[in-house]
Amino acid sequence: MKEPPLSSLRGFVTLHVSGPQVEKFINAVTGAGIIIWDVRPAGDGASLNLLLDDFFRLRPLLKKTGCRMHVTARHGLPFRLARLWRRKFFAAGILIFGVGLLLLSSMIWSVKVEGNTRIPTEDILEAARKEGVYPFQWIWRMQESDELSRELTTLVPGLTWAGFHRNGTSITIQVVEADRPDNKPLLSQRHLISRTDAVVTEIYAEQGRPVVSRNSRVKKGDILISGALGDEENTEFVVAKGMVKGLVWHEYNLEVPLKRTGSAYTGERKDRTYLVLGKWAIQLWGYGDSGFAKSRTLSEPDMLSWRSFQLPLGLMTEKELEIKYTTEALTSEAARAEGLTRAKSDIFARYGADSVIKSQKILHEKKENGKVYMKVLFEVEERIAEELPIVNN
Amino acid sequence: MTRIGRRLRGWTNGILDLPQDVLQEMPRITLIGNKELYIENHRGVLHFSSEQLRLALTQGVLEISGEGLVIRNILGQELAVIGVIGEIRYKESGENP
Repeated sequence: MKEPPLSSLRGFVTLHVSGPQVEKFINAVTGAGIIIWDVRPAGDGASLNLLLDDFFRLRPLLKKTGCRMHVTARHGLPFRLARLWRRKFFAAGILIFGVGLLLLSSMIWSVKVEGNTRIPTEDILEAARKEGVYPFQWIWRMQESDELSRELTTLVPGLTWAGFHRNGTSITIQVVEADRPDNKPLLSQRHLISRTDAVVTEIYAEQGRPVVSRNSRVKKGDILISGALGDEENTEFVVAKGMVKGLVWHEYNLEVPLKRTGSAYTGERKDRTYLVLGKWAIQLWGYGDSGFAKSRTLSEPDMLSWRSFQLPLGLMTEKELEIKYTTEALTSEAARAEGLTRAKSDIFARYGADSVIKSQKILHEKKENGKVYMKVLFEVEERIAEELPIVNN
Repeated sequence: MTRIGRRLRGWTNGILDLPQDVLQEMPRITLIGNKELYIENHRGVLHFSSEQLRLALTQGVLEISGEGLVIRNILGQELAVIGVIGEIRYKESGENP
């Protein structure tokens, strides 16, 4: 045993005892049951350590043995507290700082909502506020996150799932919105009428009353599927829906040149690199003539930029690509085939890709000024329905 | 203590084989190297300096000399000394405190 237990907590003092009979004093102290330790001779007396509680029992012993003492050092918590008490406001500051840090860090400072696209963030935050999740709320007053997420899901319509995640003093509400079916487009009441003169080949009414039948001739503007149901007196208008196909004749005047010119890159190229400074460009590489008869030049500026600022400094690469022009002479058959192909693709583009060309007939054909002129009649089965809104007035 | 009592005590010691310091008031001295010294059953400090320490016993005086002697703790009749211990001398007849 070196020193009594918890001596630094109870406080102890180092004394210097001097006098004629230090030994007697030591014997008296031990006789009184006072614990002393680290007794070492020093100067004309001895220095020793003593518990603070026993300090005040020393006085009669000192008087009896005729010794003097003075305190050389004080150790332990009671002395520290006394010293701290002298600096009350400093101590209070430390305490207030600690408490403040603790309180402020156990407070929600920010609430964020993630994952919402349709439901406004404000609505979710308002619902969360009702559950007790809002800035400057104590964290310990919050409910468990699974409880919160269940209640929030019931509180906000259109939410499939809500998750609360706390990271320090900020809360992230992760939500998943319920999928909703797409809204159907609103349609006004209408008839389906014919876009052009035709012979009906197929009619199918999904909604509305079919007025024409197969193989009947219709004129442009004739009602094919009527949106008016009922008789003269009791009429109800609906949105006519359906599909009507009919045979339509298209006449095309085509002209196809017999010579076809085209250009192609030969694959030869020459690159030039420039250093660009503002308005000026200084060529770095690629000096010399390319030697191409025909060429096309493409330039690619590659300017330096810092964030969103474009700096007036950069590199520019110029590519000179050699071009070869080719001329091809077409036979009249090939020219005719090309003209027909062009006309057919025009029909498909205009009247729908599901159009079927039933027959084609070249009515007239002549070769003149290096071109082939043709007049062709196409018989096409295509969609002929067009919408006509019903206006009630 | 009467003569009979002393003889009885000596006899019980012999029979029971007890250590002397338990029955008779003799000091038990434990020395660890030349660094630490534990003395039990002393009867007070007679002299104390860093070179010499004299302790009173029931019979005689214990003289301890060395260098840098420090009483590490003292509690009742127990005493621990640290330092460089050179000599321990036991004086049978000495002045009693």
